[in-house]
Amino acid sequence: MKINKLLGLALMTAVFFSSCTDEEIVYKEAPAAVSKGAYEKGVLVVNEGNFGSPNAEISYISSEFPTLFQNSIFNTVNPTKVLGNTAQSIGFNGDLAYIVLNGSNKIEVVNRYTFESVATIQTGLQNPRYIAFANGKGYVTNWGDAGVATDDYVAILNLTTNQITGNIAVVEGPEQIVAYNNSLYVAHKGGYSFNDKISLINSSDVVQTTITVGDVPSVIEINNNELYVLCSGKPAWSGTETSAKLVTVNLATNALAQSLTFAAGEHPALMDIEAGSIYFMKGKGVYKKDLGAAALPTTPVFTATATTVYGFAAQNSKFYVGDAIDYVANGKVTVYDAAGTLQRTYTVGVMPNGFYFNN
Amino acid sequence: MRLKLLFAFLFLSQLVLAQNDTINLNEVIVSDVQLRDNNVSQTVLKLNDSIIQQNQPALTSLLNYNSVIYFKENGYGMVSSASFRGTTAQQTAVLWNGININSQLLGQTDFNTVTTRDFNSISVKSGGGSVVYGSGAIGGTVHLNTDFRFREAFQNELYLGYGSFNTINTQYRLNAGTKKWNTQISFSRNSSDNDYPFVGSDEKNTNGEYYNATVNANIGYKINDKNILKLYSQFYEDERHFSITSENAIRTKYRNANSRNLLVWTNMAGQFTSNVKAAFLKERYQYYDNIESDAFSFGEVQTFIAKYDVVYAITENIKLNAIIDYTINDGEGEGIGEAKRKIGSGVLLFKHKVSDAFTYEVSGRKEITDAYQSPFLFSAGATYAVTNWYKVKLNGSHNFRIPTFNDLYWKPGGNLNLRPESAYQADFGQEFTFGGLQLTATAYYMKIKDMLRWLPTSEGYWAPVNTDRVQSYGAEVLLDYTHKFGAHELGLKGTYAYTVSEDENTNKQLIYVPYHKLTGAVSYTFKNFGAYYQALYNGEVFTLSDNDPKYMVKDYLVSNFGIDYRIGKKNTYRLGAQVRNLTNEKYESVASRLMPGRNYNVTLTLIF
Repeated sequence: MKINKLLGLALMTAVFFSSCTDEEIVYKEAPAAVSKGAYEKGVLVVNEGNFGSPNAEISYISSEFPTLFQNSIFNTVNPTKVLGNTAQSIGFNGDLAYIVLNGSNKIEVVNRYTFESVATIQTGLQNPRYIAFANGKGYVTNWGDAGVATDDYVAILNLTTNQITGNIAVVEGPEQIVAYNNSLYVAHKGGYSFNDKISLINSSDVVQTTITVGDVPSVIEINNNELYVLCSGKPAWSGTETSAKLVTVNLATNALAQSLTFAAGEHPALMDIEAGSIYFMKGKGVYKKDLGAAALPTTPVFTATATTVYGFAAQNSKFYVGDAIDYVANGKVTVYDAAGTLQRTYTVGVMPNGFYFNN
Repeated sequence: MRLKLLFAFLFLSQLVLAQNDTINLNEVIVSDVQLRDNNVSQTVLKLNDSIIQQNQPALTSLLNYNSVIYFKENGYGMVSSASFRGTTAQQTAVLWNGININSQLLGQTDFNTVTTRDFNSISVKSGGGSVVYGSGAIGGTVHLNTDFRFREAFQNELYLGYGSFNTINTQYRLNAGTKKWNTQISFSRNSSDNDYPFVGSDEKNTNGEYYNATVNANIGYKINDKNILKLYSQFYEDERHFSITSENAIRTKYRNANSRNLLVWTNMAGQFTSNVKAAFLKERYQYYDNIESDAFSFGEVQTFIAKYDVVYAITENIKLNAIIDYTINDGEGEGIGEAKRKIGSGVLLFKHKVSDAFTYEVSGRKEITDAYQSPFLFSAGATYAVTNWYKVKLNGSHNFRIPTFNDLYWKPGGNLNLRPESAYQADFGQEFTFGGLQLTATAYYMKIKDMLRWLPTSEGYWAPVNTDRVQSYGAEVLLDYTHKFGAHELGLKGTYAYTVSEDENTNKQLIYVPYHKLTGAVSYTFKNFGAYYQALYNGEVFTLSDNDPKYMVKDYLVSNFGIDYRIGKKNTYRLGAQVRNLTNEKYESVASRLMPGRNYNVTLTLIF
């Protein structure tokens, strides 16, 4: 029923948007005919919410009709459910989206296009962070008790029963996780502490090796048989400040292929690879580096309009920046074109930390 | 050791009692002289014993139902912080016998950690009071006092309460006195499973259980007509589990242990009255971020205060009061390491009663410390009785809130370059008295600058900065009416607060500040029977700083009803019963923190 309402909204928007053109009829008919759901062809924005409060939610921005935009889509579609406390990330597997809720220690499984709830995974998770899929299974990184360095694990999820079937013990602070062939690479940012490792979990669910990269590996992404790791470095207040690094790991040998060091005092934490280029944010600046370039860029492509940069993505010649503002207001998402010109600003939920593309 | 001393005093006072003096002195020796003498130009609401009895056990419920102070409570019994005149929780000071007891670490008092029955006088003063009470006295002050009476008395009181959710409140209290001694000892303990079901839902409050225990020993000794010694001692300990907002959230708990000791020697010599005070306070918290584990983080601050306070009565109507004060705060804990702060201050207060109708007062305070930059504070006010039923009051003051230990010393972020939050305010009050009716209406305007807020830095950590400017204005109305006819007594009480508190950059109302708060109470007594009804209305509040109406905490109206019956003249038994949240209203004071529905409580008080 809600879906119909939303479709109605989509259609109305389409009508409004194209009423001065001849394409009105085309827009009116086309989305409904082939649509997998109201939230197809767009970006899902994860609004983390305040830790300890169940105010995490997901926003949707259409990539076809920029004015078509909706907040709190989880609760809108599933009015009897509350998404929960501290949405950390989303993982896609087929038609399903797995929303990892760090504070609630659960994963909400929904249809990624309709956002109808499919399952809630509540058992076996402790401080879950990110999820990836391989070998027909899900793998969820967990800090365990955040104050304990030795109980961190990757939980193995049976995708049929939605039960956690086992844990793989790993070193402290597992954060982002990516699948490569039948293996998984886990970045150990360090949780409440600091770490500098990448764990490789093989197809037998065993930690085959750990690779030392740089301090605080915040973002990992695989592109063309190489793993790119943005290491933020230890901050000054840790007492032993270290420089940030952009590290490339050759996935055939699991050895470091390149390691570029940022200037002292710089601690970038957001990165995305798009169309053969690495984009990362340093402060409010968006920088571009070609994958093969031998040096780090020094001038930004553009500077984002934001108070507190909290999330970043590059997709289809567009940039998305999440702004947490003062952490107790609704956040903003600003969208830029390839040249960095601000195109749109959306008011989303509290603390927008990530973008997931439903195309 | 302290316990031994306590019993020695107790024993001694019994001996003195046995001498059976015949002179009956009814003089009340107050613990906070400035509250009595130096606030003629501000509004003070005094909560008497029968009101204190109605809202047990914690200070939150007492003030929520009987004052203009707004509270946000993270679920029943959980952390409770006050907002007075639209200010933050750190801008309301709580005074224990005149000593500021706001946490040195957090800057605020948790109003669910104070058991009201342990005090025989509780007052709420609206408006600034930093000149006398120091940091945090911006929106207003809450005064918890034990007053002494040097007269024949030997009274034991045992209070037992049992209520829904296995809530047990108990207290034993002794008041023993002669014309030279007064000893007041009490032990209280409150606990609850606090697993109340949510109204209209299958779910219940989970992980909300708590207990707290307090020992109080207060001893006054009148050495002679010119000299009085007073010792106030309190030890408080609690453990609260923090209720969770989602089923699988990791369960946490919090423990507090606070001790407060104050020794005062009062000397009256001719036109001079001097008080020499020494206080030792200790606060400690332990936070367990996972109750399955024994690991905890902690913070602890010990405070030593030495104070000399002298009043010089130049004439009967002109009084000069000078106070010098030296405070050492010695703290350690997670995040702050070890840190010590020393503050010296000098205060001058001048009061002139020009005529029976007109009195004015001026005062100033200056601190010297290396921990922050300290401004000069002042207060000036006057009161004028236009007629015998109409009085006006005018007051202006400069008040502050100093940076907390966390603001100054937390690693990373804390720094010594902070300024205190600074507030200028003016208020104008009018008081009407017609027979049993008293009506007070006060309008105020306040500007606060250098509000301390923790913001992310370019280095990736958070640090406190003096950033926001806030303007608050509003009005407070207090109503009190009593009517006696034969053996019947009818009482009516009400308060109303209208509050606008805006961030000056965004012109948005601050989060968790309601525009409207209203309380009302009706009480009726007939011979040994008493009944009361009280109601609280809190207007809606914003929870996001952009004032998104979608994320508001809705307004609510909650009411309580209670009856009690006394048996016996000398040895009295008092039986009471209360229904709280009579209408079973589904409400929350903080987003996603539902409060209890209708619940019941029975009490038995034995006085012997």
